[in-house]
Amino acid sequence: MGAIHVDGLRKSYGSVTAVDGMEFAVDRGELYGFLGPNGAGKTTTIRVLTGQIQPDSGDISVLETDPVAEPIETRRNVGILPEQGSPPSFLTPREYLEFVGEVRDLEPERVAEQTAMWADRLGFESKLDTLHTDLSRGQQQKVMIAQAFVHEPDVVFIDEPLANLDPLVQEQVKQFLVSYAAGDNAVFVSTHNIDVAEEICTRVGIVADGQLVTERSLTDDDGDESLLEVFLDRVEGEDARDTPTLEHLDA
Amino acid sequence: MTEATTPEQVGSGTGAGLSTRRLLAVLFREEWRLHTQLFGGWRFALFPLVIAVLAVSGTVALVETGTATETVIGGLHVLAFAFGLYSGTAGFAGSDMLENVFGRLSLLLSSSTTLPLSRRRLLGAFLLKDALFYGVAFVLPMALGSVAVDGLSATTPLSIGLFWLSLCLVFAVGMATTVALITVRTRGAPPWAIGLAIAVAVVGIWATGGLGTLRTVLVPIDGSAVTAGGLTAVTLVVAAGSLLLYDPTYGRPSRTATDRFAALSEALPIDNAALVTKSLLDLARSSGGVWKPFVSAGILLALVAALVGVVDSITGIAPAPGIFFGGVLGLSAFTTYNWLTQFDSLEAYLTYPVSIEDVFRAKRIAFVLVGAPTVAVPYLAAVLWFDATLPDAVVGAVLLAGYALYYYGLTVYIAGFDPNEFLFDAVRFATFTLGVAVALVPTLVAGFVVIPPSLELVAGLGVAGIGLGVVGIVLSSRAGPRWDARYRTE
Repeated sequence: MGAIHVDGLRKSYGSVTAVDGMEFAVDRGELYGFLGPNGAGKTTTIRVLTGQIQPDSGDISVLETDPVAEPIETRRNVGILPEQGSPPSFLTPREYLEFVGEVRDLEPERVAEQTAMWADRLGFESKLDTLHTDLSRGQQQKVMIAQAFVHEPDVVFIDEPLANLDPLVQEQVKQFLVSYAAGDNAVFVSTHNIDVAEEICTRVGIVADGQLVTERSLTDDDGDESLLEVFLDRVEGEDARDTPTLEHLDA
Repeated sequence: MTEATTPEQVGSGTGAGLSTRRLLAVLFREEWRLHTQLFGGWRFALFPLVIAVLAVSGTVALVETGTATETVIGGLHVLAFAFGLYSGTAGFAGSDMLENVFGRLSLLLSSSTTLPLSRRRLLGAFLLKDALFYGVAFVLPMALGSVAVDGLSATTPLSIGLFWLSLCLVFAVGMATTVALITVRTRGAPPWAIGLAIAVAVVGIWATGGLGTLRTVLVPIDGSAVTAGGLTAVTLVVAAGSLLLYDPTYGRPSRTATDRFAALSEALPIDNAALVTKSLLDLARSSGGVWKPFVSAGILLALVAALVGVVDSITGIAPAPGIFFGGVLGLSAFTTYNWLTQFDSLEAYLTYPVSIEDVFRAKRIAFVLVGAPTVAVPYLAAVLWFDATLPDAVVGAVLLAGYALYYYGLTVYIAGFDPNEFLFDAVRFATFTLGVAVALVPTLVAGFVVIPPSLELVAGLGVAGIGLGVVGIVLSSRAGPRWDARYRTE
């Protein structure tokens, strides 16, 4: 069943075209990796799909809701983990999750349960009453992950999910994302990290210059090329692999 | 985004690292780009012109209405000193608000953590750059006010130059004072002790009759060259000493808090209580807590009280205190709203199922909850202290409420979620100033001229207060859709 549908999406900032005719679809049960270099249009696409900004043109829907016409309804149905860290806030993680629960119309008891579960899962129980602004960036990221899932949404948009997390927590988050998508939810992950995408995603879309240049299923064994090779081919072209820098990377 | 120093620039190939001259040049370029990126080049470039127009026209108006020239000169020096106090905080992106305002913008300032540059040296250069930049861009236009005091003559350029130097000196005194206070804080002095020391100093000067001496020192153009030289030397010593003693490794321990969100949100019988609660807790738990708006209103109260005293001493007639204080204290709406928007960003709210209109509505409720006691307490103190008549006190209260809502609406409509930044946008600042003047100038004139206020005046001002309050509510209601359109179609 379709969870996210994008057709002919365009978005410019002044004279700069950020998204230029993007097309893709994501079904429930998929963990979709959105791969691309800096400035490829990944974050802009997420911001459009979650109703934060309006596109110039294109047909889009998220859970059969139009984010342009119904941005708040769209955001009610989805979870969002933004790329940028949260702004300085003087709420504690416990209070912040209460805040998120209240703006999402959740019962306080459910929020308390979710808070306890996420604090235990990501290991921030001891920080539940520390002011958010005084937490380390990794701890702040854990709280932001929790807020994206606190209402158990059917679709989640995540921009760089593992940023600032230690390896142990990274592993837990990766396993959770895989299991969450398997529970008939759609998880849309924007990342630069090709290894992570290859490890957890069911399908990836590679974007460059505001366009989807290729898609690849990672559940089937299709082709001899690694995802890194596909990425380099589509984004930089074949010549890119011959540069000294890339040889160094391979080594 | 502003430009950071590159490793090549740091090395400069000389083996001596980045020269101070080169460092200053990069800092100047960053400062310019920061402002021009925020507002557009010409809108920022015009800002000194707006200040010049305001300084000259304001000074002319004050002189023509009989205000003593010493008072006008003293007032301009107070403004320069206050601006210096504010500017001195810019280099120390450590406090909550400054981290929010400057932290993400000033790349070079934070590059001492990644480049082989001493943070102390970088801060020194940053503050020197600020002193020079603002000395030219803002203090120089203020100095043009001397034309209105001295009149035009062959020596006008010289008098402007001397007046500028005088203003620059007190501006530097303000900066050095702030730097010294922050240094003391980084050495472990608790905020209450610093506040107590300031209060004791102020009371001590007042009680010992030292205000006259203080004025002589802090208005160098009216004092001797020796006094000005002494002040310059002391300022340099304090600034240099503060930089030497400043502890760049200072950091606050993690703070904890008991859960107040749910109870407070439940106690607010309104829509979007969560958004209001977040704003209130952010304000209450940030440095200075809920006292910040009170301090801002208190400073405004002290300035107006001093002005009333001056007018009384010159003309022998005290203005109607209710009308006067009611009209002016409403201006604290700007600072109160500014405090309420320092700790979050509109973009962050767009990840939740709330509209921009909801966010602005919540800010308005938070503004009323914080702003009402913030202005009510100083207003009551003023009308009791100055023995206002009952009609005067009542109409002043109406003016205070109405004008505060009006100034708030004006700020929100013009500046959206970034009231602090629009101070440097010539067009928005001029619009805001005009909007304030339309309400405030006739009110102050009426408060000066008709004493005690007649019933007709009381009725007229009461209607004006209510009317402008309604205008303020309309403006703040329309701010949501206006800024929603801007943010979503960026």
